[in-house]
Amino acid sequence: MRKLHLIWVTARMHIEVYKYPAWSDVIEIETWCQNEGRIGTRRDWILKDVATGEVIGRATSKWVMMNEDTRRLQKVSDDVKEEYLVFCPREPRLAFPEENNKSLKKISKLEDPVQYSRLGLMPRRADLDMNQHVNNVTYIGWVLESMPEEIIDTHELQTITLDYRRECQRDDVVDSLTGPELVEGSKIHGTNGSATAITREDDLDCHQFLHLLRLSSDGQEINRGRTEWRKKPT
Amino acid sequence: MVATAATSSFFPVTSSPDSSDSKNKKLGSGSTNLGGIKSKPSASFGSLQVKANAQAPPKINGTTIVTSPVEGFKNEDGAGSPHPRTFINQLPDWSMLLAAITTIFLAAEKQWMMLDWKPRRPDMLIDPFGIGRIVQDGLVFRQNFSIRSYEIGADRTASIETLMNHLQETAINHCKSAGLLGEGFGATPEMCKKNLIWVVTRMQVVFDRYPTWGDVVQVDTWVSASGKNGMRRDWLVSDSKTGEVLTRASSVWVMMNKLTRRLSKIPEEVRGEIEPYFMNSDPVVAEDSRKLVKLDKSMAEHVRKGLTPRWSDLDVNQHVNNVKYIGWILESAPLPVLETHELSSMTLEYRRECGRESILQSLTTVSDSSVGDLVNVGEIECQHLLQLEEGSEIVRGRTQWRPKYAKSFGNVGQIPAESA
Repeated sequence: MRKLHLIWVTARMHIEVYKYPAWSDVIEIETWCQNEGRIGTRRDWILKDVATGEVIGRATSKWVMMNEDTRRLQKVSDDVKEEYLVFCPREPRLAFPEENNKSLKKISKLEDPVQYSRLGLMPRRADLDMNQHVNNVTYIGWVLESMPEEIIDTHELQTITLDYRRECQRDDVVDSLTGPELVEGSKIHGTNGSATAITREDDLDCHQFLHLLRLSSDGQEINRGRTEWRKKPT
Repeated sequence: MVATAATSSFFPVTSSPDSSDSKNKKLGSGSTNLGGIKSKPSASFGSLQVKANAQAPPKINGTTIVTSPVEGFKNEDGAGSPHPRTFINQLPDWSMLLAAITTIFLAAEKQWMMLDWKPRRPDMLIDPFGIGRIVQDGLVFRQNFSIRSYEIGADRTASIETLMNHLQETAINHCKSAGLLGEGFGATPEMCKKNLIWVVTRMQVVFDRYPTWGDVVQVDTWVSASGKNGMRRDWLVSDSKTGEVLTRASSVWVMMNKLTRRLSKIPEEVRGEIEPYFMNSDPVVAEDSRKLVKLDKSMAEHVRKGLTPRWSDLDVNQHVNNVKYIGWILESAPLPVLETHELSSMTLEYRRECGRESILQSLTTVSDSSVGDLVNVGEIECQHLLQLEEGSEIVRGRTQWRPKYAKSFGNVGQIPAESA
């Protein structure tokens, strides 16, 4: 890959946490990668509490290959594939084997007007990696910056799915937008001619949100996301 | 004897008597005679009681292994520790079994190493989950950390924040394993009853060499008295494989009433709790007695405004964590300095805390640069001030920077052709 100036870039990241570990807990993380169709590779994780053996979280991610000079996606050629497939398990194995699981769910784009936002976020030096690009983990922090305080104070993140669309550099300024996700099949009724929808916020214990990170300057999308929150255990 | 030979290949760094002598010399800046420190009576020390030059018995899969007979030593549960003399007679059979196990284990490790994705970690067998343990007469707490890929900066060395987090973590874990943790972080049970908390007033750190990704660092920490009403906490960070000293730090703490926010003397009951743990060695970093200057805007060459805490910068008490202050200070250091130099030492004075709603600014000025002699070619010194936009001072500091890769240029007196 290095010879061909190819690098892996994250396309999607999906994480589910069932139980958050606390200070001094010991957790075990199992991870493996495997081929995914023609253009990508997948890496999965399972997190377990060592003391009890229970699964406390799962994650899956999709990666595609990009040419670092042209910044364009490139199909994975067979010899490149073979180089890394040696290290992948032969039998396909998924952290999310169940059908129609949330890791496959399409994320809608959040449209204006948006309910919650935090504008003008800038990368700190510590957010930049060796290539002067904003690290993936920083995006998660930015997505959460525009979450309403009432939810963050009383709820914990149960699920997060992020689609990475565009990379972000040192001098970019980013806006973080958040809005409640409308549940499929919710009734739409008009009042004075405008449409409103019943959201799952009626269910006080679980909340779902859509997120958008975009450049302040021209509104280009950097990534979009979806989160689910549950009430913090007492 | 055979057993020791087999086990010393298993635990190369720690079971030989020579290495524990060199450890004794490391603690305190050479002028401490640890052998001369009297053994404190064991209050409620945590679970282990060890002598200065013996190691806590390593455990594999829950079974305690005795590597050499040590007089007067108890194992963790105090149960099932056979009388040393009888045990020696049984050693030959045990050593064969251990040698066999060692060979199998090393063979498996070799296979892993060929795949080059599992680093060899003999220290893991002693402290398999890296939660640290009390050593050295019960006064020193030691914990190892491996440097993770997300903890390094653009030049592949561990970030300052990572190293400072190690210091904080070992400080808290020391209190926890010594039984000194009341509710919350760092307050003893008596302190909690009186609404007292420790606050750091001064911090001095010297960075001799920065660890890189995959290194395992060993952090030793201990406390001493500081004047009549203060406490000093020292740290010594070394490379767990080579023993080379990487970082040295010294901090001063005073007691504050968390309700009135006023400083307090150490009450007798608290003194009784903490004094058994005081090592009272010399500080590991000689105190930098030069006064820290307060900058004002007219003096500052570099100002960074509008710094606000992120939600993730807050600690358990909704206050901005100490380590974040350092991040902000460095954030506003001039870019040319950050690109060509690395931090060699810093002195910080903490004046006031700040919370979520604060807006801060960071001021930096470069003192006379590059006036050092041949030894200190290219060294730069900066003065710092972190303050609220309305003026209250949060942290005052002084940093010294040396050219990156200066150490790799060999002998003193050779002037590098070009600093990286």
